[in-house]
Amino acid sequence: MHLIQGPVTTSVISEAVAKGGENNDYGAHSLFLGQVRRDLIGGKYVKAIEYSAYEEMVIMEADKINKTILSEFGDVKAIEIIHSKGRVRAGEISLLVMVSVGDHDQASKACAKTVELIREKLPILKKEIFEDDPKQLVQDE
Amino acid sequence: MEISVQFFGVLAEVTGTDRKHFRGIKSYSDLKHRIEDDFPEIVNYNFRIAVNNKIINDDPLLRQDDEVAYLPPFAGG
Repeated sequence: MHLIQGPVTTSVISEAVAKGGENNDYGAHSLFLGQVRRDLIGGKYVKAIEYSAYEEMVIMEADKINKTILSEFGDVKAIEIIHSKGRVRAGEISLLVMVSVGDHDQASKACAKTVELIREKLPILKKEIFEDDPKQLVQDE
Repeated sequence: MEISVQFFGVLAEVTGTDRKHFRGIKSYSDLKHRIEDDFPEIVNYNFRIAVNNKIINDDPLLRQDDEVAYLPPFAGG
């Protein structure tokens, strides 16, 4: 589990995939990317999300998630979780989950379960940063 | 005893601090009352409490130097 400053960039994603390629017994990876949405809340659009985390507990809970997934899905070889802290703009990636398996069967299910547990168990918090007045935005566009 | 309390996310904004030490704490409920006395607005927010990195549901037995954390709803992803 890694908490990184700012968005999960394409180079971070590429590195994760390349790292998976170093292992000859992996037959498949399921990759999940969480993206910041430009939600409309109370008449204002979300420009970015500011993530913060209780880092010590995040690491401990991520370790438990790892153990849960490895015991539930026998074919899972490795789980990589990368989450942003700090500011991530709408359209950027804030979460990467990559589950590596021997054969393809369990990949998607194990990845979906990992994402579910991340959302439920990791003390990661968010604060929406809003765009200016939507009327002004229309003019800007 | 002395207990260190960390506040995260919106709760750090409400309390105006991310960490505060409380001295002379006798019990968990004593600590809760001290926090509510110092930061009355906190009762308007949803939060969970962790002691030494574990979410607690019942009133725990606090010990000297325990780390308490006030956590808003989790929002990873």
